[in-house]
Amino acid sequence: MTENLFDEYYEKSLMQGGTTCCPGCGGPLFWRMALQALGPKTVIYGDGPCAMCAIRNIKLPHFNLHFSFVADASSGMAAAYRAKGIEGLTLVSSAGDGATGDISFGKVSAAAERNENMLQICVDNEAYMNTGIQKSGLTPFGAWTTTTPLGKEALKKEIPLIIAQHNVPYVATVSVAYPRDLVAKIKKAKDIEGFKYIHTVMPCPTGWRFNPAKSVEVVRLGVETWTWPLYEIEGGVLKLNVKPKQKPIEDYLKTQNRFRHMTEDQIKYVQDNINAKRERLLENDGKRVIL
Amino acid sequence: MSFTRMMDGNEAAAYGAMLSRAEVVPAYPITPQTELISRIATLISEGKMKAEYIKVEGEHTAMAAACGASAAGARVFTATASQGMAHMEEALWMPPGMRLPIVMCMVNRAMAPLGGLRPDHNDSLMQRDNGWIQLYCENSQEVLDTVIMAYKIAEDKDIYLPVAPCYDGYFVSATAMPTTIPDQAEVDEFLPPYKHEMYSLLPWDYRRPARSTNAAKSRYEVQQAHDRAKDVIEEVDKEYGTRFGRSYDGLLEEYACDDVDAVLMTMGSMTGTVRDKIDEMQAEDNRIGLIKLRGFRPFPSEELRELAKKYQAIAVVDRNNSYGSAGGGVVSMEVARALYTLDDKPLLLNFHVGLSGSDVTMRQVGYMAEKTLEAVSKGKVDEVVDWVELHDLGEVL
Amino acid sequence: MASVVRAFRPVVEQEKCIQCGNCQTYCPEGTVMLENGETVVFDYRYCQGCGVCANECPVDAIEMVREVAA
Repeated sequence: MTENLFDEYYEKSLMQGGTTCCPGCGGPLFWRMALQALGPKTVIYGDGPCAMCAIRNIKLPHFNLHFSFVADASSGMAAAYRAKGIEGLTLVSSAGDGATGDISFGKVSAAAERNENMLQICVDNEAYMNTGIQKSGLTPFGAWTTTTPLGKEALKKEIPLIIAQHNVPYVATVSVAYPRDLVAKIKKAKDIEGFKYIHTVMPCPTGWRFNPAKSVEVVRLGVETWTWPLYEIEGGVLKLNVKPKQKPIEDYLKTQNRFRHMTEDQIKYVQDNINAKRERLLENDGKRVIL
Repeated sequence: MSFTRMMDGNEAAAYGAMLSRAEVVPAYPITPQTELISRIATLISEGKMKAEYIKVEGEHTAMAAACGASAAGARVFTATASQGMAHMEEALWMPPGMRLPIVMCMVNRAMAPLGGLRPDHNDSLMQRDNGWIQLYCENSQEVLDTVIMAYKIAEDKDIYLPVAPCYDGYFVSATAMPTTIPDQAEVDEFLPPYKHEMYSLLPWDYRRPARSTNAAKSRYEVQQAHDRAKDVIEEVDKEYGTRFGRSYDGLLEEYACDDVDAVLMTMGSMTGTVRDKIDEMQAEDNRIGLIKLRGFRPFPSEELRELAKKYQAIAVVDRNNSYGSAGGGVVSMEVARALYTLDDKPLLLNFHVGLSGSDVTMRQVGYMAEKTLEAVSKGKVDEVVDWVELHDLGEVL
Repeated sequence: MASVVRAFRPVVEQEKCIQCGNCQTYCPEGTVMLENGETVVFDYRYCQGCGVCANECPVDAIEMVREVAA
């Protein structure tokens, strides 16, 4: 009885329950929310095993190569659909943070430059998690990983802002803790022609070292401490979508054991950086930020 | 209407792609392939060719985009060379395993650092294990015809493998010769529109091949496709000959091999020089002929074994080298394996020549032919692997 | 589909529930549902027992109970 109810729900929500993701992974949660906005006329190109765990359960056509192939096979697919005169499809191209920010960075940049008609999504769990937690260019300062046992020495790359400078029609950051904002942004992106880029935080209990039950709570704190500001850049104009009262960064850092070794100085350094970034974001809210 | 005009190898390849109605061309420029893709860009901009040209930022992306486009239902053409091919390597393994019938010209050029811009075959030969069909062409006409045939072979539902027409940079890519361009309607009749039975990436019609959990089984299927491809390449070549009046003897061609004791075995552009030298030497009663190897993958072992029974010596001319190999160049090792099962084996000689794009001269061909005939008369081979360019042979001719 | 190995299972105390729907919204696996907008039900075939539903419940109506080895 209950099972039938759920089977109907999975069919309708375009995603089968029972992924092979770790408990508390943000992946299936993100995709379930995104699919609400995307609808059934969607084709997904997904790279990278961590993202694949969730994507395998999506009841839509998908194609995949390895994580060094971000936004490229999807460029080919977009060209094929153009050549064949197929319209009304949403082509989603997804990749993780290491793929988007490191190994395939040039590819994402090139697809943005060509203004390929696709929705590029970066699911950012802030390290190479599927291979067992190795540092990526998007790992935040201070975070422990197996390749940064003393904490990462450098700051996180600001990929969404870099992509925005390619003059693409739409860039946005989202978080699974803010479902309405997330769904609205994907809906908006879906209806825009050209290269759209959505950067989502992906809570990772395994790699960030926290209790899986806290998954949503942790990324909510990310937004509330301004570690993960929610904004969109449409037509070059920045808009901050959520402006919460700022909580101290310790509130966020102490939820995750990957930060537990950080010294007071290091925490202050992170806080100063966040403050500066918050100030710049507020200053430019509603203004054109593309040079 | 078909017509004939002067055309170099790169332009011929572009016309081959156009006549085959390639729909998506993801490509990145590299010498000596650049003229080919810029010609395609021109043909598209002039409205003569209807295709989506994706101006990618590297070869790795070019091949990945080719995979996406091919799976999403478009006929794909691309081309690369040398360093670019090496950069593409990771992606090159995808189409055979995924059974995507992409056609890509490999415009041969030596690899750095001990190369330059000129051709040898090490770039495409290092792709020998990844499942691409490789057909080596001698001149512009063969390039054009092979590109069209390549689609027919690749898209055969018993094959579904990517095909690479390979030709030497400069010697073929930039050398013009009278080339006949077949009539579009006749090509259309020969090559029906692309439809992949295994793939469709549409929400209302979604198909992808099921992957076996037994990887060995999937690999064996690719191997079987290669085995079948031997027959298909011969059939397609014959059909092309019937329709267009030109064919290339499938996987290997015997040239002037009646009543000879030994043969030189060549690949690519040097074959032309060797033809001339063989004619010259036969006129002086030297009993030596030529085998041109056209298909390196799949390798025509059975056919070669049949032919080998007729000769006392086979000399493989390798425009490549394999450091630290079991002995000699890549082609000679394939030939050795193919002939190993024969009870009565011919003598096997191996020459390295034309490395990094140096000219293969008439004098060098003469030297190789003489050494081979000398081995026949002695009944043994003195120098199994001979680096011809280390000898001072005097004048070019 | 994966067969689920789970250390804890969510159990709802229906009387406490205020029908806010947070459990359904935030369940990563989509295995919680507010049936007819009233009753919280779980799909124990696929629930991974992560506990997000219990954590997000504003009135602590969901408890994570240790699975007993069969």
